[in-house]
Amino acid sequence: MPSCNPLPPKENSLFKRILKCYEHKQYKNGLKFAKQILTNPKYAEHGETLAMKGLTLNCLGRKEEAYEYVRRGLRNDLKSHVCWHVYGLLQRSDKKYDEAIKCYRNALKWEHDNIQIMRDLSLLQIQMRDLEGYRETRYQLFMLRPTQRASWIGFAMAYHLLHDFDMACNILEAFRKTQQVTNSYDFEHSELLLYQSMVIQDSGDLEEAVKHLDRFKEQIHDKLTVEETYGALKLKLGQYNEAMKHYESLIERNQENTLYYNKLVEAKQLTNNDDIFQLLTHYISKYPKATVPKRLSLNYVSGDQFRTEIDKYLRHGFHKGVPPLFVNLRSLYSNTEKCKIIQDLVESYVEALSKTGHFSLQDEGEVEPASALLWVYHYLAQHYDHLGDTMKALNYINAAIDHTPTLIELFVTKGRIYKHAGDVLEAYKWLDEAQSLDTADRYINSKCAKYMLRANLIKEAEETCSKFTREGVSAMENLNEMQCMWFQTECALAYQRLGRWGDTLKKCHEVDRHFSEIIEDQFDFHTYCMRKMTLRSYVRLLRLEDVLRSHPFYYTAARCAIQVYLRLHDRPCTLDSEQQQQNTGK
Amino acid sequence: MTRPKIELGDVTPHNIKQLKRLNTVVFPVSYNEKFYKDVLEAGELAKLAYYNDIVIGAVCCRIDPNNGRKLYIMTLGCLSPYRRLGIGSMMLEHILNYVEKDGNFDSIYLHVQLNNDVAIDFYKKFGFEIVETKQHYYKRIEPADAYVLQKTLRNKVPNGEEHKDGK
Repeated sequence: MPSCNPLPPKENSLFKRILKCYEHKQYKNGLKFAKQILTNPKYAEHGETLAMKGLTLNCLGRKEEAYEYVRRGLRNDLKSHVCWHVYGLLQRSDKKYDEAIKCYRNALKWEHDNIQIMRDLSLLQIQMRDLEGYRETRYQLFMLRPTQRASWIGFAMAYHLLHDFDMACNILEAFRKTQQVTNSYDFEHSELLLYQSMVIQDSGDLEEAVKHLDRFKEQIHDKLTVEETYGALKLKLGQYNEAMKHYESLIERNQENTLYYNKLVEAKQLTNNDDIFQLLTHYISKYPKATVPKRLSLNYVSGDQFRTEIDKYLRHGFHKGVPPLFVNLRSLYSNTEKCKIIQDLVESYVEALSKTGHFSLQDEGEVEPASALLWVYHYLAQHYDHLGDTMKALNYINAAIDHTPTLIELFVTKGRIYKHAGDVLEAYKWLDEAQSLDTADRYINSKCAKYMLRANLIKEAEETCSKFTREGVSAMENLNEMQCMWFQTECALAYQRLGRWGDTLKKCHEVDRHFSEIIEDQFDFHTYCMRKMTLRSYVRLLRLEDVLRSHPFYYTAARCAIQVYLRLHDRPCTLDSEQQQQNTGK
Repeated sequence: MTRPKIELGDVTPHNIKQLKRLNTVVFPVSYNEKFYKDVLEAGELAKLAYYNDIVIGAVCCRIDPNNGRKLYIMTLGCLSPYRRLGIGSMMLEHILNYVEKDGNFDSIYLHVQLNNDVAIDFYKKFGFEIVETKQHYYKRIEPADAYVLQKTLRNKVPNGEEHKDGK
């Protein structure tokens, strides 16, 4: 233990036991040993012992004393790397990362090659996005431990994050060469190769990326990613014939992925609607059960042909009873011609189904299910709601409810119609009705609570949510604990509408805290992902965290808080209004 | 095209309001809270019927409190757009299967309004017979008289037969 104040053997062995106790979380015992050293008047001011005592106290929740002892220890022994490391650990546990980094740096000044301190430093540097510092530390670690896998990966990643792709790639390639390829299923090696591919793609050298895949695809177990990457690369490279093959094989794997069809159209360089329709028709007959090509084909036809196609599509939906059929077709409504055709068709179904049980008066044979008419009514209610014709929408939804008064979706739709018409109170009543019909449905329960918040009924909303929150805790607290941000932002806006500024800000700050926590939670992944080799996901996580606060929840809460703070600045609360608020508050 | 899917499901505290809604629409008689409380305890004797995943019918029975060997059908009904699709039969068959498996019931009976020919024909098809007419059975609806329809489940069997069943 190099220190300006070394302990004699007996005390030194006691000191080592303090360290051991700290590692094993036996804090009480640690304090006992510290006391044994410190009660000796000769060592009462021994720096490293004081620091360790402080660190141990911190783990017992005695933060103020902890700082006192650690600082005193450091003052007594400024050249001890132990004291600096301990001070760094204390600051880190207090989330003062910048301060902690300084401490680790000082510690390393007195003990250049301490791997533990260096690792701790690198974690803080990546957490704080001190990428230059991170690269420096990873370099040191690499030089000290060139045989460890993590040394290579961390070293390469530092360059990757600094956009020095060539260097990152070279390090990864050098490391890959040291790896022995086995025939057995080696997931971590496969992930390493895919990470290498990611770096090459990020560098923009698409041809190199293709070559890399060509060379290693057999060793990569995530076949889907290989195929998707091939497709995207070859499309970007303008190798359309090749790209086509990859998207065709992807569609064969999964016929329900819209992206694959769109990319295939791109690869075939089809721009004419008729040609695209032909292509999709081919897939419709090849995969009669797939829904995506059927839906997509509707985008590329018009006029009578559209009428024929949409007729088939609608009939199938109503026959089967597809609740989100309208949502599925809504994007077609930007085309007024298509909207009109749909309206005419669906209205004709009403007449025919009521009279004959078929979709058209000419149809014969087996009649449609009894629920078909119900779904037709439900569709028309949403159709007219979308067009802003509230009266017609209500007429159809009421017809549907008369037909089948037990179908919960109908009450949700009825509530939504009132919401769109601006009647928040009537809207929430229908959602409450829907919710009561199936109290085990969490989706509808949450929707109901949201509608209640829109109607400024905060207590009621909390009560509704309480059906699904933990028992024994207040729902509000539990929702905060679960980071239930849709609730908290809506709740803040409700308080704001009610002029309860204090409660509004409380909710906004709760949301802000969640975002801080999410950034905080990153910390564990720095070590975990390196160990598990989930490097692509790790880089994506880092990139997500970098723009985390652009999330709509944060935006809503921030805007709300800004408005309230400005309001309070312009018209500060008088004593009267404060009291009033307290009276209307909890 | 696929055929409609018809199945039975349990009544639970979560969906009991669907049963209430259904009964309010289907029957002219209204049932009190006690009725629904008992239904929750009835197990296989109370079932909801689903048509393409929508609740459209229900059957509720209870064991006769005065005679444990008689089963009483309190309600059996279906929303009007979904009638004549075999849903009533499915529910009744479920109950008949239940009593057959149980083996301890002598008979199964119910009340039906005097003028409800459709219902009377339906139950006759399953071997029910009119055994009694009750005057002024219903309080708030016309006609107030009701038939008692009953199906006898086992005739007196020779003693030996009963022993063979392990009784």
